[in-house]
Amino acid sequence: MNAAAEIQIESVSMFYKDNKGNDIHALNNVSIDIQKGEFISLLGPSGCGKTTLLRIIADLLEPSMGKVTVCGQTPKETRMQQKYGIVFQNPVLYDWRTVKNNVRLPLEMMKINKTEQNSRIEKQLELVGLTNFKNHYPHQLSGGMQQRVGIARALAIQPEILLMDEPFSALDEFTREKLNEDLLRIWSKTNKTVIFVTHNISESVFLSDRVCVLSPHPGRLSAIVDIDLPRPRTREIRETPEFFSLVSKIRNSFEGV
Amino acid sequence: MNKNKTLVLLVWFAGIFALWELGAFSLVNIFHDKMAASKLPYPHEVIATLAKNWQTLSEAGAVTFSKAATGFALGASIGIILAILMSISKIAEQIAFPYLIVSQMIPVLGLAPIIFNLVRNMDASRIIIAAYITFFPVAANMLSGLKSVDIDKRELMYSYAAKKPSIYMKLMLPFSLPYLFSGLKIAAPLSVTASILVDMLGSKNGIGVKLLYSLYGGTKDIFWASVFTSALMGIISYFIVIIAERIFIPWKKEFNTKAGED
Repeated sequence: MNAAAEIQIESVSMFYKDNKGNDIHALNNVSIDIQKGEFISLLGPSGCGKTTLLRIIADLLEPSMGKVTVCGQTPKETRMQQKYGIVFQNPVLYDWRTVKNNVRLPLEMMKINKTEQNSRIEKQLELVGLTNFKNHYPHQLSGGMQQRVGIARALAIQPEILLMDEPFSALDEFTREKLNEDLLRIWSKTNKTVIFVTHNISESVFLSDRVCVLSPHPGRLSAIVDIDLPRPRTREIRETPEFFSLVSKIRNSFEGV
Repeated sequence: MNKNKTLVLLVWFAGIFALWELGAFSLVNIFHDKMAASKLPYPHEVIATLAKNWQTLSEAGAVTFSKAATGFALGASIGIILAILMSISKIAEQIAFPYLIVSQMIPVLGLAPIIFNLVRNMDASRIIIAAYITFFPVAANMLSGLKSVDIDKRELMYSYAAKKPSIYMKLMLPFSLPYLFSGLKIAAPLSVTASILVDMLGSKNGIGVKLLYSLYGGTKDIFWASVFTSALMGIISYFIVIIAERIFIPWKKEFNTKAGED
Protein backbone atom coordinates (compact mmCIF):
# COMPACT_ATOMS: atom_id res chain seq x y z
CA MET A 1 0.00 0.00 0.00
CA ASN A 2 1.42 3.31 -1.07
CA ALA A 3 0.82 5.88 1.65
CA ALA A 4 1.59 8.79 -0.64
CA ALA A 5 -1.23 7.90 -3.05
CA GLU A 6 -3.83 10.64 -3.37
CA ILE A 7 -6.66 8.19 -3.94
CA GLN A 8 -6.58 4.70 -2.45
CA ILE A 9 -9.17 2.19 -3.59
CA GLU A 10 -8.93 -0.78 -1.21
CA SER A 11 -10.69 -4.09 -1.92
CA VAL A 12 -13.88 -2.42 -3.12
CA SER A 13 -16.80 -4.70 -3.93
CA MET A 14 -20.29 -3.73 -4.96
CA PHE A 15 -23.46 -5.83 -4.98
CA TYR A 16 -26.97 -4.68 -5.67
CA LYS A 17 -30.30 -5.91 -6.96
CA ASP A 18 -31.57 -4.79 -10.35
CA ASN A 19 -35.25 -3.93 -11.02
CA LYS A 20 -36.04 -7.61 -11.65
CA GLY A 21 -34.63 -8.56 -8.25
CA ASN A 22 -31.56 -10.31 -9.65
CA ASP A 23 -28.33 -10.00 -7.68
CA ILE A 24 -25.76 -8.00 -9.60
CA HIS A 25 -22.11 -8.33 -8.67
CA ALA A 26 -20.91 -5.05 -10.10
CA LEU A 27 -17.41 -4.93 -8.64
CA ASN A 28 -15.27 -7.65 -7.10
CA ASN A 29 -12.36 -6.77 -4.85
CA VAL A 30 -10.87 -3.86 -6.79
CA SER A 31 -7.77 -2.12 -5.44
CA ILE A 32 -6.01 0.78 -7.18
CA ASP A 33 -3.66 3.51 -5.91
CA ILE A 34 -3.78 6.77 -7.80
CA GLN A 35 -1.00 9.36 -7.50
CA LYS A 36 -1.48 13.09 -7.35
CA GLY A 37 -1.52 14.68 -10.80
CA GLU A 38 -1.94 11.33 -12.53
CA PHE A 39 -4.23 10.77 -15.52
CA ILE A 40 -5.89 7.39 -14.97
CA SER A 41 -8.41 5.67 -17.23
CA LEU A 42 -10.93 3.10 -16.12
CA LEU A 43 -11.48 1.10 -19.30
CA GLY A 44 -13.87 -1.72 -20.03
CA PRO A 45 -16.99 -2.92 -21.79
CA SER A 46 -20.44 -2.19 -20.40
CA GLY A 47 -21.18 -4.10 -17.22
CA CYS A 48 -17.57 -4.01 -16.01
CA GLY A 49 -18.39 -1.63 -13.16
CA LYS A 50 -16.18 1.26 -14.33
CA THR A 51 -18.89 3.87 -13.87
CA THR A 52 -19.88 2.27 -10.55
CA LEU A 53 -16.29 2.63 -9.34
CA LEU A 54 -16.18 6.30 -10.40
CA ARG A 55 -19.47 6.95 -8.64
CA ILE A 56 -18.12 5.35 -5.47
CA ILE A 57 -15.11 7.67 -5.56
CA ALA A 58 -17.44 10.64 -6.19
CA ASP A 59 -19.61 9.63 -3.19
CA LEU A 60 -22.62 9.15 -5.44
CA LEU A 61 -22.65 5.47 -4.34
CA GLU A 62 -21.52 3.59 -1.23
CA PRO A 63 -19.45 0.45 -1.74
CA SER A 64 -20.83 -2.81 -0.31
CA MET A 65 -17.36 -3.76 0.89
CA GLY A 66 -13.91 -2.17 1.03
CA LYS A 67 -13.15 1.51 1.24
CA VAL A 68 -11.95 4.49 -0.72
CA THR A 69 -9.68 7.12 0.79
CA VAL A 70 -9.18 10.48 -0.92
CA CYS A 71 -6.42 12.77 0.41
CA GLY A 72 -6.61 10.87 3.68
CA GLN A 73 -10.38 11.32 4.13
CA THR A 74 -13.62 9.68 3.08
CA PRO A 75 -15.19 10.43 -0.31
CA LYS A 76 -18.07 12.12 1.52
CA GLU A 77 -15.75 14.53 3.32
CA THR A 78 -14.03 15.26 0.02
CA ARG A 79 -17.37 15.93 -1.66
CA MET A 80 -18.51 18.22 1.16
CA GLN A 81 -15.31 20.24 0.70
CA GLN A 82 -16.13 20.51 -3.01
CA LYS A 83 -12.84 19.06 -4.13
CA TYR A 84 -14.40 17.07 -6.98
CA GLY A 85 -15.06 18.36 -10.44
CA ILE A 86 -17.35 15.93 -12.22
CA VAL A 87 -18.00 15.72 -15.95
CA PHE A 88 -20.94 13.46 -16.70
CA GLN A 89 -21.72 11.36 -19.74
CA ASN A 90 -24.45 13.83 -20.66
CA PRO A 91 -23.31 17.42 -20.30
CA VAL A 92 -26.00 17.98 -17.59
CA LEU A 93 -26.27 21.69 -18.27
CA TYR A 94 -29.09 23.73 -16.80
CA ASP A 95 -31.24 24.81 -19.77
CA TRP A 96 -32.30 28.07 -18.12
CA ARG A 97 -28.74 29.29 -17.66
CA THR A 98 -26.57 30.70 -20.40
CA VAL A 99 -23.16 29.12 -21.02
CA LYS A 100 -21.39 31.54 -18.69
CA ASN A 101 -24.00 31.11 -15.96
CA ASN A 102 -23.73 27.33 -16.19
CA VAL A 103 -20.02 27.69 -15.47
CA ARG A 104 -20.96 30.14 -12.68
CA LEU A 105 -23.24 27.62 -10.93
CA PRO A 106 -20.62 25.80 -8.80
CA LEU A 107 -18.94 29.13 -8.00
CA GLU A 108 -22.25 30.44 -6.62
CA MET A 109 -22.53 27.29 -4.53
CA MET A 110 -19.05 27.94 -3.12
CA LYS A 111 -20.04 31.56 -2.33
CA ILE A 112 -17.15 32.96 -4.30
CA ASN A 113 -17.41 36.71 -4.86
CA LYS A 114 -18.72 38.10 -8.13
CA THR A 115 -15.47 39.56 -9.45
CA GLU A 116 -13.62 36.31 -8.87
CA GLN A 117 -16.53 34.41 -10.47
CA ASN A 118 -16.33 36.51 -13.61
CA SER A 119 -12.59 36.20 -13.97
CA ARG A 120 -12.69 32.42 -13.52
CA ILE A 121 -15.54 32.11 -16.04
CA GLU A 122 -13.59 34.16 -18.59
CA LYS A 123 -10.53 32.00 -18.05
CA GLN A 124 -12.32 28.66 -18.28
CA LEU A 125 -14.36 29.60 -21.34
CA GLU A 126 -11.20 30.73 -23.06
CA LEU A 127 -9.52 27.44 -22.16
CA VAL A 128 -12.31 25.41 -23.77
CA GLY A 129 -12.66 27.88 -26.65
CA LEU A 130 -16.20 29.04 -26.01
CA THR A 131 -15.68 32.72 -25.22
CA ASN A 132 -17.85 33.75 -28.16
CA PHE A 133 -20.73 31.59 -26.97
CA LYS A 134 -20.88 32.72 -23.36
CA ASN A 135 -24.34 34.27 -23.74
CA HIS A 136 -25.87 31.34 -25.62
CA TYR A 137 -28.27 28.87 -24.08
CA PRO A 138 -27.21 25.18 -24.00
CA HIS A 139 -29.77 24.04 -26.60
CA GLN A 140 -28.24 26.48 -29.07
CA LEU A 141 -24.92 24.58 -28.95
CA SER A 142 -23.79 21.35 -30.58
CA GLY A 143 -23.14 18.24 -28.45
CA GLY A 144 -19.38 18.79 -28.47
CA MET A 145 -19.72 22.40 -27.40
CA GLN A 146 -22.12 21.43 -24.61
CA GLN A 147 -19.63 18.88 -23.32
CA ARG A 148 -16.91 21.56 -23.31
CA VAL A 149 -19.17 23.75 -21.17
CA GLY A 150 -19.42 20.78 -18.79
CA ILE A 151 -15.62 20.59 -18.63
CA ALA A 152 -15.29 24.34 -18.06
CA ARG A 153 -17.83 24.10 -15.25
CA ALA A 154 -15.95 21.23 -13.61
CA LEU A 155 -12.62 23.07 -13.85
CA ALA A 156 -14.01 26.41 -12.63
CA ILE A 157 -14.05 25.32 -8.99
CA GLN A 158 -10.35 24.44 -9.32
CA PRO A 159 -10.98 20.91 -8.06
CA GLU A 160 -8.27 18.69 -6.66
CA ILE A 161 -9.66 15.78 -8.63
CA LEU A 162 -11.43 15.69 -11.97
CA LEU A 163 -13.81 12.76 -12.42
CA MET A 164 -14.97 12.15 -15.99
CA ASP A 165 -17.64 9.57 -16.77
CA GLU A 166 -17.51 8.67 -20.48
CA PRO A 167 -17.66 12.38 -21.29
CA PHE A 168 -17.15 11.97 -25.03
CA SER A 169 -19.00 8.71 -25.68
CA ALA A 170 -22.05 10.38 -27.20
CA LEU A 171 -19.96 12.32 -29.71
CA ASP A 172 -18.82 11.39 -33.21
CA GLU A 173 -15.26 10.13 -33.71
CA PHE A 174 -13.94 13.42 -35.16
CA THR A 175 -15.29 15.53 -32.34
CA ARG A 176 -14.10 12.98 -29.81
CA GLU A 177 -10.49 13.06 -31.05
CA LYS A 178 -10.55 16.86 -31.14
CA LEU A 179 -11.81 17.01 -27.56
CA ASN A 180 -9.22 14.41 -26.48
CA GLU A 181 -6.49 16.78 -27.64
CA ASP A 182 -8.21 19.75 -26.03
CA LEU A 183 -8.50 17.82 -22.78
CA LEU A 184 -4.76 16.99 -22.74
CA ARG A 185 -3.91 20.61 -23.45
CA ILE A 186 -6.15 21.78 -20.59
CA TRP A 187 -4.89 19.08 -18.25
CA SER A 188 -1.23 19.96 -18.93
CA LYS A 189 -2.01 23.51 -17.77
CA THR A 190 -3.82 22.51 -14.59
CA ASN A 191 -2.20 19.23 -13.56
CA LYS A 192 -5.23 17.87 -11.77
CA THR A 193 -5.59 14.23 -10.89
CA VAL A 194 -7.96 12.87 -13.53
CA ILE A 195 -10.00 9.68 -13.42
CA PHE A 196 -11.44 9.09 -16.85
CA VAL A 197 -14.03 6.39 -17.55
CA THR A 198 -14.25 5.14 -21.12
CA HIS A 199 -14.98 2.09 -23.26
CA ASN A 200 -12.75 3.33 -26.07
CA ILE A 201 -9.31 1.70 -26.02
CA SER A 202 -7.44 4.19 -28.20
CA GLU A 203 -8.95 7.11 -26.30
CA SER A 204 -7.65 5.65 -23.02
CA VAL A 205 -4.17 5.06 -24.48
CA PHE A 206 -4.00 8.54 -25.98
CA LEU A 207 -4.95 10.29 -22.74
CA SER A 208 -3.63 8.29 -19.82
CA ASP A 209 -0.56 7.72 -17.70
CA ARG A 210 -2.04 4.38 -16.70
CA VAL A 211 -5.03 2.39 -17.97
CA CYS A 212 -6.95 0.22 -15.51
CA VAL A 213 -8.53 -2.58 -17.54
CA LEU A 214 -11.78 -3.84 -16.03
CA SER A 215 -13.55 -7.04 -17.11
CA PRO A 216 -17.23 -7.80 -16.60
CA HIS A 217 -19.35 -10.39 -14.73
CA PRO A 218 -18.29 -9.73 -12.07
CA GLY A 219 -16.58 -6.37 -12.63
CA ARG A 220 -12.94 -6.84 -11.72
CA LEU A 221 -9.54 -5.34 -12.37
CA SER A 222 -7.75 -7.55 -14.91
CA ALA A 223 -4.70 -5.40 -15.63
CA ILE A 224 -3.09 -2.01 -15.10
CA VAL A 225 -1.15 -0.92 -18.17
CA ASP A 226 1.48 1.82 -18.00
CA ILE A 227 1.28 4.17 -20.98
CA ASP A 228 4.85 5.39 -21.40
CA LEU A 229 4.23 7.45 -24.52
CA PRO A 230 5.99 10.81 -24.34
CA ARG A 231 4.06 14.00 -23.58
CA PRO A 232 2.88 16.39 -24.91
CA ARG A 233 0.94 14.05 -27.17
CA THR A 234 -0.55 15.13 -30.46
CA ARG A 235 -2.74 13.30 -32.97
CA GLU A 236 0.36 11.95 -34.81
CA ILE A 237 1.10 9.69 -31.86
CA ARG A 238 -2.00 7.67 -32.77
CA GLU A 239 -0.14 6.46 -35.90
CA THR A 240 2.98 5.20 -34.11
CA PRO A 241 3.82 1.47 -33.63
CA GLU A 242 4.16 2.05 -29.86
CA PHE A 243 0.57 3.30 -29.79
CA PHE A 244 -0.69 0.25 -31.73
CA SER A 245 1.21 -2.20 -29.54
CA LEU A 246 -0.28 -0.63 -26.38
CA VAL A 247 -3.76 -0.82 -27.89
CA SER A 248 -3.35 -4.52 -28.73
CA LYS A 249 -1.74 -5.24 -25.34
CA ILE A 250 -4.83 -3.78 -23.66
CA ARG A 251 -7.21 -5.55 -26.02
CA ASN A 252 -5.58 -8.88 -25.09
CA SER A 253 -5.82 -8.24 -21.37
CA PHE A 254 -9.63 -8.43 -21.24
CA GLU A 255 -11.01 -11.57 -19.66
CA GLY A 256 -14.35 -13.15 -20.36
CA VAL A 257 -15.76 -10.58 -22.73
CA MET B 1 -44.59 36.91 -36.64
CA ASN B 2 -43.68 36.20 -40.24
CA LYS B 3 -45.69 37.09 -43.32
CA ASN B 4 -47.08 33.59 -43.88
CA LYS B 5 -48.50 33.38 -40.38
CA THR B 6 -50.16 36.78 -40.74
CA LEU B 7 -51.71 35.69 -44.02
CA VAL B 8 -53.01 32.43 -42.53
CA LEU B 9 -54.51 34.35 -39.64
CA LEU B 10 -56.17 36.90 -41.94
CA VAL B 11 -57.69 34.22 -44.18
CA TRP B 12 -58.86 32.38 -41.07
CA PHE B 13 -60.70 35.37 -39.65
CA ALA B 14 -62.12 36.33 -43.04
CA GLY B 15 -63.32 32.75 -43.53
CA ILE B 16 -65.10 32.59 -40.19
CA PHE B 17 -66.67 36.00 -40.79
CA ALA B 18 -67.91 34.97 -44.25
CA LEU B 19 -69.30 31.64 -43.01
CA TRP B 20 -71.08 33.37 -40.18
CA GLU B 21 -72.58 36.01 -42.49
CA LEU B 22 -73.76 33.23 -44.79
CA GLY B 23 -75.31 31.34 -41.87
CA ALA B 24 -77.14 34.42 -40.60
CA PHE B 25 -78.31 35.25 -44.12
CA SER B 26 -79.72 31.76 -44.69
CA LEU B 27 -81.55 31.77 -41.35
CA VAL B 28 -83.33 35.01 -42.25
CA ASN B 29 -83.86 34.64 -45.98
CA ILE B 30 -83.98 30.88 -46.66
CA PHE B 31 -85.42 29.36 -43.47
CA HIS B 32 -87.40 32.51 -42.59
CA ASP B 33 -86.65 31.93 -38.93
CA LYS B 34 -88.31 34.54 -36.73
CA MET B 35 -85.75 33.97 -33.97
CA ALA B 36 -82.81 34.43 -36.33
CA ALA B 37 -81.53 37.50 -34.49
CA SER B 38 -81.08 35.58 -31.23
CA LYS B 39 -79.92 32.31 -32.78
CA LEU B 40 -77.32 33.68 -35.14
CA PRO B 41 -77.23 37.43 -35.70
CA TYR B 42 -75.29 39.03 -38.53
CA PRO B 43 -71.69 39.42 -37.30
CA HIS B 44 -71.40 42.91 -38.78
CA GLU B 45 -74.40 43.95 -36.69
CA VAL B 46 -72.82 42.47 -33.58
CA ILE B 47 -69.61 44.37 -34.27
CA ALA B 48 -71.58 47.56 -34.83
CA THR B 49 -73.36 47.10 -31.48
CA LEU B 50 -70.05 46.34 -29.85
CA ALA B 51 -68.59 49.56 -31.20
CA LYS B 52 -71.67 51.59 -30.18
CA ASN B 53 -71.75 50.20 -26.63
CA TRP B 54 -68.02 49.85 -26.24
CA GLN B 55 -67.83 52.17 -23.25
CA THR B 56 -70.40 50.36 -21.06
CA LEU B 57 -69.28 46.91 -22.19
CA SER B 58 -65.61 47.57 -21.50
CA GLU B 59 -66.43 49.08 -18.10
CA ALA B 60 -68.47 45.99 -17.21
CA GLY B 61 -65.73 43.79 -18.60
CA ALA B 62 -63.08 45.59 -16.58
CA VAL B 63 -64.96 44.94 -13.32
CA THR B 64 -65.21 41.23 -14.08
CA PHE B 65 -61.69 40.98 -15.48
CA SER B 66 -59.93 42.76 -12.63
CA LYS B 67 -61.53 40.45 -10.07
CA ALA B 68 -60.68 37.44 -12.23
CA ALA B 69 -57.07 38.64 -12.39
CA THR B 70 -56.86 39.11 -8.61
CA GLY B 71 -58.36 35.66 -8.05
CA PHE B 72 -56.04 34.19 -10.65
CA ALA B 73 -52.97 35.68 -8.94
CA LEU B 74 -54.16 34.44 -5.56
CA GLY B 75 -55.02 30.96 -6.85
CA ALA B 76 -51.76 30.67 -8.75
CA SER B 77 -49.76 31.61 -5.62
CA ILE B 78 -51.63 29.04 -3.55
CA GLY B 79 -51.12 26.44 -6.29
CA ILE B 80 -47.38 27.10 -6.45
CA ILE B 81 -46.96 26.96 -2.67
CA LEU B 82 -48.99 23.74 -2.45
CA ALA B 83 -46.92 22.15 -5.20
CA ILE B 84 -43.66 23.07 -3.46
CA LEU B 85 -44.90 21.74 -0.11
CA MET B 86 -46.04 18.50 -1.73
CA SER B 87 -42.70 18.06 -3.48
CA ILE B 88 -40.72 18.70 -0.28
CA SER B 89 -42.71 16.28 1.83
CA LYS B 90 -44.08 12.98 0.63
CA ILE B 91 -46.45 12.93 3.60
CA ALA B 92 -47.79 16.39 2.74
CA GLU B 93 -48.48 15.10 -0.75
CA GLN B 94 -50.26 12.00 0.51
CA ILE B 95 -52.41 14.11 2.82
CA ALA B 96 -53.15 16.96 0.44
CA PHE B 97 -53.56 15.31 -2.94
CA PRO B 98 -56.87 13.49 -2.28
CA TYR B 99 -58.34 16.80 -1.05
CA LEU B 100 -57.20 18.46 -4.24
CA ILE B 101 -58.89 15.78 -6.34
CA VAL B 102 -62.09 15.99 -4.29
CA SER B 103 -62.05 19.78 -4.59
CA GLN B 104 -62.27 19.37 -8.34
CA MET B 105 -65.36 17.17 -8.06
CA ILE B 106 -67.47 19.94 -6.53
CA PRO B 107 -69.14 21.78 -9.42
CA VAL B 108 -68.26 25.47 -9.36
CA LEU B 109 -71.86 26.20 -10.30
CA GLY B 110 -72.90 24.80 -6.94
CA LEU B 111 -70.01 26.18 -5.00
CA ALA B 112 -70.40 29.79 -6.13
CA PRO B 113 -73.72 30.44 -4.33
CA ILE B 114 -72.34 28.81 -1.18
CA ILE B 115 -69.30 31.07 -1.21
CA PHE B 116 -71.50 34.09 -1.90
CA ASN B 117 -73.75 33.22 1.05
CA LEU B 118 -70.68 32.87 3.25
CA VAL B 119 -68.90 36.08 2.39
CA ARG B 120 -71.88 38.21 1.29
CA ASN B 121 -69.61 40.28 -0.90
CA MET B 122 -69.68 40.18 -4.68
CA ASP B 123 -66.05 41.16 -5.26
CA ALA B 124 -64.75 38.73 -2.65
CA SER B 125 -66.87 35.93 -4.14
CA ARG B 126 -65.55 36.62 -7.63
CA ILE B 127 -61.97 36.53 -6.34
CA ILE B 128 -62.45 33.38 -4.27
CA ILE B 129 -64.14 31.44 -7.07
CA ALA B 130 -61.54 32.55 -9.62
CA ALA B 131 -58.79 31.52 -7.19
CA TYR B 132 -60.53 28.23 -6.49
CA ILE B 133 -60.69 27.33 -10.16
CA THR B 134 -57.09 28.46 -10.76
CA PHE B 135 -55.19 26.71 -8.00
CA PHE B 136 -55.72 23.11 -9.12
CA PRO B 137 -54.32 23.15 -12.66
CA VAL B 138 -51.46 25.30 -11.38
CA ALA B 139 -50.65 23.01 -8.43
CA ALA B 140 -50.98 19.83 -10.51
CA ASN B 141 -48.77 21.06 -13.36
CA MET B 142 -46.18 22.61 -11.06
CA LEU B 143 -45.97 19.41 -9.01
CA SER B 144 -45.49 17.31 -12.11
CA GLY B 145 -42.68 19.70 -13.11
CA LEU B 146 -40.98 19.43 -9.73
CA LYS B 147 -41.19 15.64 -9.98
CA SER B 148 -39.75 15.54 -13.50
CA VAL B 149 -36.35 17.03 -12.60
CA ASP B 150 -33.71 14.79 -14.17
CA ILE B 151 -31.75 12.63 -11.78
CA ASP B 152 -28.41 13.75 -13.24
CA LYS B 153 -29.30 17.42 -12.72
CA ARG B 154 -29.96 16.58 -9.08
CA GLU B 155 -26.70 14.62 -8.81
CA LEU B 156 -24.81 17.69 -9.97
CA MET B 157 -26.29 19.62 -7.01
CA TYR B 158 -25.48 16.71 -4.71
CA SER B 159 -21.87 16.71 -5.89
CA TYR B 160 -21.68 20.40 -4.87
CA ALA B 161 -22.96 19.46 -1.39
CA ALA B 162 -25.91 21.82 -2.02
CA LYS B 163 -28.52 22.45 0.67
CA LYS B 164 -32.26 22.24 0.06
CA PRO B 165 -32.95 25.99 -0.33
CA SER B 166 -30.34 26.38 -3.06
CA ILE B 167 -31.45 23.14 -4.74
CA TYR B 168 -34.93 24.64 -4.99
CA MET B 169 -33.82 28.11 -6.04
CA LYS B 170 -31.23 27.03 -8.57
CA LEU B 171 -32.70 23.79 -9.91
CA MET B 172 -36.24 22.73 -8.98
CA LEU B 173 -38.06 26.02 -9.48
CA PRO B 174 -36.44 27.12 -12.75
CA PHE B 175 -36.84 23.58 -14.10
CA SER B 176 -40.57 23.61 -13.28
CA LEU B 177 -41.31 27.01 -14.82
CA PRO B 178 -42.43 25.65 -18.22
CA TYR B 179 -44.76 23.21 -16.43
CA LEU B 180 -46.09 26.04 -14.27
CA PHE B 181 -46.88 28.05 -17.38
CA SER B 182 -48.84 25.14 -18.91
CA GLY B 183 -50.99 25.26 -15.79
CA LEU B 184 -51.34 29.04 -15.94
CA LYS B 185 -52.41 28.85 -19.59
CA ILE B 186 -55.22 26.46 -18.69
CA ALA B 187 -56.22 28.47 -15.61
CA ALA B 188 -56.30 32.01 -17.03
CA PRO B 189 -59.41 31.72 -19.25
CA LEU B 190 -61.06 29.55 -16.56
CA SER B 191 -60.63 32.29 -13.97
CA VAL B 192 -62.41 34.73 -16.31
CA THR B 193 -65.24 32.23 -16.76
CA ALA B 194 -65.49 31.84 -12.99
CA SER B 195 -65.71 35.59 -12.50
CA ILE B 196 -68.47 35.89 -15.14
CA LEU B 197 -70.34 33.06 -13.44
CA VAL B 198 -70.33 34.89 -10.12
CA ASP B 199 -71.59 38.05 -11.91
CA MET B 200 -74.69 36.10 -12.82
CA LEU B 201 -75.54 35.30 -9.21
CA GLY B 202 -77.03 38.76 -8.78
CA SER B 203 -74.23 41.21 -9.05
CA LYS B 204 -74.93 44.86 -9.89
CA ASN B 205 -72.12 45.21 -12.38
CA GLY B 206 -69.83 43.09 -14.51
CA ILE B 207 -70.08 41.54 -17.95
CA GLY B 208 -72.05 38.57 -16.61
CA VAL B 209 -74.83 40.96 -15.57
CA LYS B 210 -74.98 42.38 -19.11
CA LEU B 211 -75.23 38.84 -20.48
CA LEU B 212 -78.02 37.89 -18.10
CA TYR B 213 -80.12 41.06 -18.47
CA SER B 214 -79.83 41.26 -22.22
CA LEU B 215 -80.68 37.56 -22.57
CA TYR B 216 -83.92 37.92 -20.63
CA GLY B 217 -84.55 41.56 -21.49
CA GLY B 218 -84.84 40.89 -25.19
CA THR B 219 -81.93 43.11 -26.20
CA LYS B 220 -80.37 40.51 -28.48
CA ASP B 221 -77.78 42.78 -30.01
CA ILE B 222 -76.34 43.68 -26.60
CA PHE B 223 -76.37 40.00 -25.64
CA TRP B 224 -74.21 39.01 -28.56
CA ALA B 225 -71.93 41.97 -28.07
CA SER B 226 -71.48 40.85 -24.45
CA VAL B 227 -70.68 37.32 -25.60
CA PHE B 228 -68.02 38.79 -27.87
CA THR B 229 -66.62 40.85 -25.01
CA SER B 230 -66.49 37.79 -22.73
CA ALA B 231 -64.70 35.75 -25.38
CA LEU B 232 -62.28 38.60 -25.91
CA MET B 233 -61.53 38.69 -22.17
CA GLY B 234 -60.72 34.99 -22.15
CA ILE B 235 -58.41 35.38 -25.13
CA ILE B 236 -56.70 38.41 -23.61
CA SER B 237 -56.09 36.55 -20.35
CA TYR B 238 -54.47 33.72 -22.30
CA PHE B 239 -52.20 36.06 -24.22
CA ILE B 240 -51.11 37.86 -21.07
CA VAL B 241 -49.84 34.49 -19.80
CA ILE B 242 -48.12 33.84 -23.14
CA ILE B 243 -46.32 37.20 -22.91
CA ALA B 244 -45.32 36.50 -19.30
CA GLU B 245 -43.98 33.13 -20.42
CA ARG B 246 -41.75 34.80 -23.00
CA ILE B 247 -40.39 37.12 -20.33
CA PHE B 248 -39.82 34.47 -17.67
CA ILE B 249 -38.63 31.61 -19.88
CA PRO B 250 -36.17 33.29 -22.24
CA TRP B 251 -34.33 29.98 -22.74
CA LYS B 252 -37.30 28.27 -24.42
CA LYS B 253 -36.26 26.65 -27.70
CA GLU B 254 -38.83 28.39 -29.90
CA PHE B 255 -37.54 31.81 -28.84
CA ASN B 256 -33.92 31.20 -29.85
CA THR B 257 -31.92 30.14 -32.84
CA LYS B 258 -29.21 27.51 -32.87
CA ALA B 259 -25.57 28.53 -32.98
CA GLY B 260 -23.05 27.11 -35.43
CA GLU B 261 -21.73 23.58 -35.08
CA ASP B 262 -18.16 22.84 -34.09
